[in-house]
Amino acid sequence: MRLLLLEDDHILGDALRDYLRAEGHVVDWCKTLAQTRALAGEPYDALLVDWQLPDGSGLEWLRAQRIRGDTTPALMLTARDLLTQRVEGLDSGADDYLVKPFAPEELAARLRAVGRRLAQDGQGLRRLGGVEVDLPARAVRVDGARVELTAREWAVLEALLLRIGRIVPRTDLERLVLGFETELSSNALEVHVSALRRKLGRDLIETVRGLGYRIGGDA
Amino acid sequence: MKPAAEAASPTSAEEPRLPSTRARLANALTAWSVVWGLAVGAAIWLAATHEVDELLDDALQSSGELLAVLAPVANTAPAEGGVVPASNGGAVERFAWQVIASDGGILMRSHRAPAAAWHGAPKPGFSDTAEWHVHGRSLGTSGTMLYVAQTRSERREARSDVALGAVLAALAVGLLGHVWLRARLRGEMEPLQTLSRRLEAWDVDAPGALQADALGAAERSELLPVHRAMARATARLASRLANEQAFSAHAAHALRTPLAGIDAQLAVTLRDCPPPWHERVQRAREAAARLQGVVAALLGLFRSGAELNPVEVDVGDLAQRLPAPRLRTTVAEGLRVQADPDLLAAALANLFDNAQRHGAAQVWVEGIDGAGLVVRDDGPGVAHERRAALQAAIDTQRYQGVTGLGLMLADRVARAHGGRLCLPASESGFAVELRL
Repeated sequence: MRLLLLEDDHILGDALRDYLRAEGHVVDWCKTLAQTRALAGEPYDALLVDWQLPDGSGLEWLRAQRIRGDTTPALMLTARDLLTQRVEGLDSGADDYLVKPFAPEELAARLRAVGRRLAQDGQGLRRLGGVEVDLPARAVRVDGARVELTAREWAVLEALLLRIGRIVPRTDLERLVLGFETELSSNALEVHVSALRRKLGRDLIETVRGLGYRIGGDA
Repeated sequence: MKPAAEAASPTSAEEPRLPSTRARLANALTAWSVVWGLAVGAAIWLAATHEVDELLDDALQSSGELLAVLAPVANTAPAEGGVVPASNGGAVERFAWQVIASDGGILMRSHRAPAAAWHGAPKPGFSDTAEWHVHGRSLGTSGTMLYVAQTRSERREARSDVALGAVLAALAVGLLGHVWLRARLRGEMEPLQTLSRRLEAWDVDAPGALQADALGAAERSELLPVHRAMARATARLASRLANEQAFSAHAAHALRTPLAGIDAQLAVTLRDCPPPWHERVQRAREAAARLQGVVAALLGLFRSGAELNPVEVDVGDLAQRLPAPRLRTTVAEGLRVQADPDLLAAALANLFDNAQRHGAAQVWVEGIDGAGLVVRDDGPGVAHERRAALQAAIDTQRYQGVTGLGLMLADRVARAHGGRLCLPASESGFAVELRL
């Protein structure tokens, strides 16, 4: 998943970025609201938002996002642990609330839960012809045989599966897979899509000419 | 359940015997009443006897004057030396008289008067014989004397009766006044005693203890300064507590984020480091988790203050979520208590941490008849003397240098619930009763 991490603490932000990347996520880390606003319009699968930021309230930013119609799942990561604060956070648009200090394993588990909800089947299991994808376990089988994917290949597959049946524009898919920090080569996405087609079958990922890519067009 | 203030106060055996204001005032009042009664009684005695003497003398003199007028017309008087017949009831007459010729012979006398003349030679005015108080006056110029007299014993009896009655009346008034004043004294001292009792029972942790009227309204103007001083002291204390709680709120943010950062950095390190380093990094994570538990407990305890939020807590469920990585925890099945879940978690986390650090591998958590929990471990325990010292420190809340953070926190949590911490004797290991 492509994640937006909004955290001003360098030690925590740095560690979370590395940990979640190792979990296979694409993480864009912003330390201020100003940096976050500069990314307006970028597609994300989940938002990880600290409440108290140097230039404002992460919760207020999230509330504004909800008012603008942004439904991206959001987790509050905050030191504010009072019951009233937890209620306020959830009522302001957060889908989940994690009180610091927390173990990164728990954050990763909650993100897997977000992934299952995005996959819309509750379990995160997808069967497309002979291809079976277990999103939480990050496992892919073709006709029952385990297939190994690189991190980027997995990111492309996951991004399309989380939007199954919908056309994902090429630029969005690039951002979802590579994040804004990575320098893009002109054909990096095609390389990963081609690799996936080679491993999982040519018909799994459909190219919608001039628009983008899609999985499960018949779903 | 023993109130905190009572538990913290010294025992009666240690209290110095201080003088009682009420007893001292009562004793002074009693002494003054006795002296007053004796002095007034003596004065009344002297005055009464003097006045009775004067009254009797006046009566004697008047009687003499009357007889002196009547004697010359009493031509039917008996012959010389005769006796006037007794009047009715003469046996109880307290008055006698004699008419004595110039030669000392009795011309007439009342029947009660002695046959011998009181005075052989004329003796006017008042005089005393062995038994009689006599008043003499001359009858004419022939040297004949009229003597009227009362017995001295009867005069003494009259003086005593009057004086004794007056003295007894004075003493009775004094006694009644003493009883009434003692009752008034007790009533006037009662507001002071009430204030003393309220001050003794005042507990800073009790609900409403920091309100301006925590001691109730002043009942006497003299006590107003005490109430005002107490109101100022509680206001300052409340302000300090509010500052501490505000500090803890800031500290919460300042501490929680770095703690999360430490754990996240260690988690990344654990994932990336070579296998031989795994155990060390894992231990570092466990230490960080313990630090998180202690910090969370401290923050929860100081922040909660008067915001106790007791609910029915499933102790088994709570214990599962506490950080005790190398400790086996067994909770009595279905154990539930009424407590603030955050504070109870803080207390249990610290008791578990204590047990683990002192060599225990297993703890058992059981209920105490709905009054709280007991946590036992299989560690080496402590000697009886050490346990007594720990209990004394807990009872007096003088933890400094005696108990560790775990017991202090657990005791603070228990007290926040109106209970206290007890360290019962245990055949093996260490046991802590968390009375809520």
